[in-house]
Amino acid sequence: MRWFAKISLRMRSLFHRRAADDELDAELRSHLERQIAANISAGMSEAEARRVAMREFGGVEQLKEECREMRKINWIQDLAQDIRYGLRMLRKSPGFTAIAILTLALGIGANTAIFTILNSAALRLLPVPHADQLVTAGQNIRSANGNMHRNVHDDGSFVSYSEYRAYAKENRVFSGLLAYSAFTETTLGGNKPQPIMGTLTSCNYFNVLEIRPELGRFFADSDCAAPGESAVVVLSDSAWRGTFAGDPAIVGKPVMLNRTSFRVVGVAPPGFEGTVTVASSFWAPLTMVKAFRPADDFLGDDDLSWLAMIGRLKPGVSSQQAEANLSVVASGLNSLQAGRITTITLGRATLLAMPSLRTPILIIGGLIMAAVGLVLMLACANIANLLLARAAGRRKEIAVRLTVGASRGRLIRQLLTESLLLALLGGAAGALASFWSVAAIFRFALAHLPKDPELAFALHLNSDFHTWSYAFALSVLTACLFGLAPALRASRADLTLAMKEDGAHSQTGTISAGRLRNSLVGSQVAVCMLLLLASGLLLHGLYRAQTIDPGFQMKNTEAVVFDLSSAGYTPQRAAAFQRQLHDRLAALPGVDEVAQATCIPLGNSHDLTGFSTPDKSKSYEMEYNHVSANFFRVLGIPVLQGRGFTDAEARSGAHLAILSQSTARRFFPGQNPIGQMLHGGGEPNSRVADWQVVGVVADAQVATLGDSRKLYLYEPAGPGQQQDLKVMVHSAAADPAIAKEIDSVTAGLDPELSVTIAPLTEVLEFWREPARVVSVLSVILGTIALLLASIGIYGMVSYGVSRRVREIGIRMALGADNRDVMWLVVRQAMFPVLTGALVGMVLCAAVSTIFSAILFGVSPLDPGSFISMPLLLLTVALLASYIPARRAMRVDPMVALRYE
Amino acid sequence: MSKPTDLVQGTLDLLILRTLTHEPMHGWGIAQRIQIVSNHVLQVRQGALYPALHRLEQQGWIRAEWGDSENNRRAKFYSLTKAGQKYLQKEQANWERLSSAIGLVLDEARS
Repeated sequence: MRWFAKISLRMRSLFHRRAADDELDAELRSHLERQIAANISAGMSEAEARRVAMREFGGVEQLKEECREMRKINWIQDLAQDIRYGLRMLRKSPGFTAIAILTLALGIGANTAIFTILNSAALRLLPVPHADQLVTAGQNIRSANGNMHRNVHDDGSFVSYSEYRAYAKENRVFSGLLAYSAFTETTLGGNKPQPIMGTLTSCNYFNVLEIRPELGRFFADSDCAAPGESAVVVLSDSAWRGTFAGDPAIVGKPVMLNRTSFRVVGVAPPGFEGTVTVASSFWAPLTMVKAFRPADDFLGDDDLSWLAMIGRLKPGVSSQQAEANLSVVASGLNSLQAGRITTITLGRATLLAMPSLRTPILIIGGLIMAAVGLVLMLACANIANLLLARAAGRRKEIAVRLTVGASRGRLIRQLLTESLLLALLGGAAGALASFWSVAAIFRFALAHLPKDPELAFALHLNSDFHTWSYAFALSVLTACLFGLAPALRASRADLTLAMKEDGAHSQTGTISAGRLRNSLVGSQVAVCMLLLLASGLLLHGLYRAQTIDPGFQMKNTEAVVFDLSSAGYTPQRAAAFQRQLHDRLAALPGVDEVAQATCIPLGNSHDLTGFSTPDKSKSYEMEYNHVSANFFRVLGIPVLQGRGFTDAEARSGAHLAILSQSTARRFFPGQNPIGQMLHGGGEPNSRVADWQVVGVVADAQVATLGDSRKLYLYEPAGPGQQQDLKVMVHSAAADPAIAKEIDSVTAGLDPELSVTIAPLTEVLEFWREPARVVSVLSVILGTIALLLASIGIYGMVSYGVSRRVREIGIRMALGADNRDVMWLVVRQAMFPVLTGALVGMVLCAAVSTIFSAILFGVSPLDPGSFISMPLLLLTVALLASYIPARRAMRVDPMVALRYE
Repeated sequence: MSKPTDLVQGTLDLLILRTLTHEPMHGWGIAQRIQIVSNHVLQVRQGALYPALHRLEQQGWIRAEWGDSENNRRAKFYSLTKAGQKYLQKEQANWERLSSAIGLVLDEARS
């Protein structure tokens, strides 16, 4: 009842405002009349009675305002009024409004775009029915005694096949627990073998995800009954429409995956592309893993982590309960292995649930967000500056409003409403623009990243509740950022002074306003300096990457890359294949050398293991490579000490090692490295052995572009590496047809083998492209930042000049010349600029090491960038302050003194 | 000028509600009644009275009606609602507890 009364009262005051106001008026008047009557009966004359009553009554308008305030709905009316008023103010200065909205649209739009990408990967749940019931489940294994051996495939939180079966069978909390192994890259056979990306799944995969097939059926439990027995496959919608041209009779047809014939049983619905960020083209039962990865025993090896798990919670089960229940299962697993401690982690089912995927993407995304956020802050500072200047012009208006009874809070609210309007308009424009363009921008960026034909992203870059709320929250935050300080300042006007003066040149309050303005410009310059320095560093890094000499010979060399191990070759067959391939390639006209190595120099895969001196006094984790005898000759890496491998050693897989110069120095400083022993890995299956150093070769950037002193060790390619060897073909002269000839050789040996052939020089692109994308991004941001900062400086100086026309006039009348005046103006402007620049430089120096991966040897404190960029910024700052300062020089003392 | 501080804020509500327990009254009457009953110790200024009345009305403790007063003058009469009565009882008990507690402390300090 009380609520009803309350609401009807509020409604009344909201919609019958006039009536409510009239009533209030009548009530107060009747009070006054009574008081007058009382005064008269107390013996006063009528005039005196009225006067006394009025005096007692106080400010009627303020009292009314207070009563209205009590109605609580005032804020709605105020808001409506403020919005009307704000819109009128914005319409009155279209130039300011347009600039502010555009700047904000740019800043908020860029932020929203980045957020949209992160949202689709890291925040949005999987695109399946009732995704909120799904949780990812991972385990983390530690050992009490510190010597637990675990083979990890892709991600440390994965489980082995036997562990998955234990979790699936013994848990009491899931209606279904699925397991999958994503990123299964394999070869799709046919006229032209091509790489294809897919996922191996438990047979309840689609049931747990509650997805219905578009065609045919999904997996049945019988498909997973016996390992290797059920060669069935489900295709993705895009693979079906693309690779198989939408064949309506696809179900039941065979496809060749890695030389095994699989029968297509179904097609997944459009829009479902798997449970990780990389799109799957096919799904096969995980019991068929041997067909894809013949080399390892994935099903039998209990210590091999290779499966990710997703469970669907039973109704009413919380994720805490699920975690507790899985921990019970895990403690059962612990008891099977002495000292094992297993921790269970559950997470939301997003495309980025795996820690190994999430961490780097969130770091990179966070960095870009930070940079774009800095630009938005610059924009905010500019708008705050503009608002401050406007507020100075509106001092009188504000003073009038304060005098006639507006409270300070009310004024601040009104000024903030104006800011909020600006921010929301800008935010809406920016968000709309970003939702339209983000997919295109994302595609553009991907097209410039290292190419991987089978790599497609499963992201759906459309806007949703998250993105809209983000854009909205960001707009409100920006409004507070740029609107609060000016509003607080403007509403603190000294009434008497503001009312008396003409509002044009008052010195009151300008000191602290000037300080606020200076610190705004100072922080703008600092942010701008940071972004400029970063882009300077990155540009220098890119230049280095484009012009770098990697320290080895790349010309006229083709890299031939294939994977015999996953293609099912035994070591014996692989050795025969390699021998034949070598001989046929060497016989090609124009080819003078054919070298072999397990890792292509600077290629996108490498081997890493630990080596130590026999007494274990020195131990380093380092990259190593198995190479043929002519490897150093083909790449032009000189042997500095000792000798290279002989052909016989390379064939036998002798336990010999060749070190790079830096490595030799690190292990054996001041000693002759030849003949020394090293203990470490390199054998198949990571078995450790002793290796005798026979030679030292010059440092080359074979591991990381721009870093030739990285530790690196070479071992001879022996019988154990035949499945892993790649080939480099060197011809005496440039031969455009060589790739084709190599292709026909490999196709002649094995038409089913997927082979990539590319000039060795192209591996550099793998390094350059990310640098190019990041540099372009940073230059764009840096330029915007510079533009915004120079507008800020310009505004600060020209405002300062306009405020000091009279002072300048006096100085000139007293004999100051143009130079003095110029110096006066510019000196004041340069103080915040120099301070800001210094702060920016310090900030950049503190964080620039995060770029070192794409600086290619350029120091994170590169003097070139740290000198040129500050100079650039100072030049622009001087220019931005010179233009308004020139106006100061043209001040006519006579005019200025009369200027009022 | 010493300010009638926050104490007054809550107290005034209490005084108004108490005054309205007898009969519906208009604003001026409430002010007069409080003044007379308190032997002219408590003076309720209009600047505080009307906002307080509006606040109490918004909260649903009192309700307002226009009616004829003595010599046919229209006035807005305030009366206590059921919720207001309950609220008053609670607040009055609170107040008595508080003032007796303060009294105890003051007496103790005197002795």
